[in-house]
Amino acid sequence: MPRPDVPEPVLVADQASKAYADLVALEPLDLQISAGTMVALVGHNGSGKSTFLRLAAGLLELTAGEITIAGSPAGSSDARAALSFLPDEPVLYDDLSVREHLAYVAALHGVHASGEDFDELIERVGLTARADDLPARFSRGLRQKTSIALGVVRPFDLLMVDEPFVGLDAPGKNALLGILDELHGHGKAIVVATHDPGFVERVDRCIALHDGTVVHDGPATPADVLRLVGA
Amino acid sequence: MLVVAEADADLEGALVDWRRFRRQKRTADIHWIDALYRAYLTAIVGLVAVVFTSSVVGDALLSTSEISRVLADGPGWLGGLAAFAVALGLRSGSRGGPLALERTEVRHVLLAPVDRTAALRAPAIRQLRFLSFVGLVVGGIAGDLAARRMTGSAAAWVGTSALAGLTLVGLCVGAALVAAGTRLPRWIASAIGLVLLGSAVADGVGAIGVSPTASFGDLVLAPLRFHVLGLLPVVGAVVLLASGLSLLGRISLEAAERRSTLVGQLRFAATLQDLRTVIVLRRQLAMELPRLRPWVRLRVRGTGPLPVFVRGLRGLLRWPAARVARLVLLAGLVGLCLRGVWSGTTPLVVLAGIASFIAGLDSVEPLAQEVDHPSRRDATPLEASAIHLRHIPVAVLAQLLVGGIAVAVASAPGHARVPFGVALVALVPLALGGLGGALVSVLASPSSVSGGWSLAPPEAQGMQLAFRMVWPPSIAILGAAPVAFARRAYEQGSPAVEGASRIVPVVLVVFALICGWVRVRDDIGAWFKSQMEMANAKT
Repeated sequence: MPRPDVPEPVLVADQASKAYADLVALEPLDLQISAGTMVALVGHNGSGKSTFLRLAAGLLELTAGEITIAGSPAGSSDARAALSFLPDEPVLYDDLSVREHLAYVAALHGVHASGEDFDELIERVGLTARADDLPARFSRGLRQKTSIALGVVRPFDLLMVDEPFVGLDAPGKNALLGILDELHGHGKAIVVATHDPGFVERVDRCIALHDGTVVHDGPATPADVLRLVGA
Repeated sequence: MLVVAEADADLEGALVDWRRFRRQKRTADIHWIDALYRAYLTAIVGLVAVVFTSSVVGDALLSTSEISRVLADGPGWLGGLAAFAVALGLRSGSRGGPLALERTEVRHVLLAPVDRTAALRAPAIRQLRFLSFVGLVVGGIAGDLAARRMTGSAAAWVGTSALAGLTLVGLCVGAALVAAGTRLPRWIASAIGLVLLGSAVADGVGAIGVSPTASFGDLVLAPLRFHVLGLLPVVGAVVLLASGLSLLGRISLEAAERRSTLVGQLRFAATLQDLRTVIVLRRQLAMELPRLRPWVRLRVRGTGPLPVFVRGLRGLLRWPAARVARLVLLAGLVGLCLRGVWSGTTPLVVLAGIASFIAGLDSVEPLAQEVDHPSRRDATPLEASAIHLRHIPVAVLAQLLVGGIAVAVASAPGHARVPFGVALVALVPLALGGLGGALVSVLASPSSVSGGWSLAPPEAQGMQLAFRMVWPPSIAILGAAPVAFARRAYEQGSPAVEGASRIVPVVLVVFALICGWVRVRDDIGAWFKSQMEMANAKT
């Protein structure tokens, strides 16, 4: 019988690994992330952070092991409903405006939202003046803000974000941190892969990867991160 | 900030509505003049193809004995088309095809809790509809051409051939969808394809009684002789398509995303006739990565002599097994073609040359890497052309190995064996011809819309484009010619080796000229550019 004070894990990785022919991208990994936890995933380039996030999102296929999201295998319909993934490189339609993007993604997730709901979110990420523009014409930072809005316009139990601060200006970064804190406060599990050592001060847990292997799992300071994965 | 999903939301219905909305937006953006111009271009190209093909096929009716021969040998060879369609489909499906989805569709639609089978059905049917139309039209035209030379009504030939074209599309797309839905491993897909193609060829040459795809030939030849087995490929295509469409939801997202990124670039590179980019993208699509551990480890002992040669050798020693296997197969194909040439089928020299050219494109890989990374190459104090030239020896070495296998296959005991002396004489020209063509192809930059040729009249530009495309494989075909010359000498009662030797100096001179061109092409380009600038300044 589960203990009432221990939240259910929303992500469970059981010996999850990924290899491309003779190149091992992620060594067998065991991991549990509970609801309401904010996790920083740190590691140098090629350490396996993005690979792990993509495996959990169902964009990559496991070579061995298993990952479950809210009790369902990664990539299954229920897992897709429970996990929102923000990639490091925004992927946006050329022919839809910011507002149309939001309406589309919300519809695909069964969300009934009004124009005001979208406006509120658009204002939150600082895109009010560009709400009816095509993101195809945006700078990297504005595309990133659009991508952030798309990540949170839909329901989820677990938000996984890959390098979210790249290309963001200071207001954009603050807006994102505010959104993450708010979602964390509402009991959502959040995993952020980042190279920013300062971010670990906001999280409950820091997981450090080195060459596809977990080398640290627990609280950490920025100094610890620099020691673990280098500057 | 927090949103909730409605329990009874119709996600698939929402997807259909949004796709309709996007389609309407796209349609509104297309100007009718653009649409008419595209239709005009398609019609012109189609007309030229039909006129050219009909001039090749001719109008004379076949004699009774010739019709009998078509009925005897036709099913086997025509079955090769079905074997090729299935092999192509399996190969595509095992690499995530045949659908080439937008990356945004993968990220936003396929990562949403929408039923994937329903989400993918529309793009799959759209692709199938377009290819079916192409199959019908091409099949119908082929039937019309066949009707001019065969007995039987034109309507029967056109109808049957259109059905055959449709069947080929069904076999290809169906096999691809089944392979993608069942996650068929690539090696199994390749093995099945090779077996089907091999058995079709064996049936064609009469080595076996019947091949699995021979019934497709019965379908095509139905106006001459109806055989109920001819309906088998039609049923097969329907079954494959139905199975493939039901398996749509099981395709690999990893492969779909990789494909979504690369296929668009691949089409664009093919449009520009940028063969090198096509090769690089095709390798990425097939995940053909260099080996982490080389076949033979050359220890790095600091800087040594011949750095460019050694760098090339290191690259070769990291070739993946798939590339090695492909080169061995290509070499085998060259060898078989040379046997065919020796036995009297001279046109096979073209196929031998093209196979040698394709092998050459792999052999020049170290040099092509320099071309792909010009900033790294240009950061050295050496001239680019000097570095390119120093890469040629290792490419010669690789191509000699390919040629060696080809020569061994050509002179192996058995039917239509090429005499060993002739095969030995053919080795060096074969290797250098394929390599020479590949060097020209890799070093000639893709055609530019802003170059000097942009001011030339369209007819001249067309000829230049055709020349750029045909010239490199022509060099390789010249390299494969010694066996044809040997055969001709043999037929005239002269020693075959002497006949083969006659063309060898020509190939050597052409290769030497290409090496010279590699060394001075930058100087020529700079001189031409300065002359153009001077001419522009005067005007």
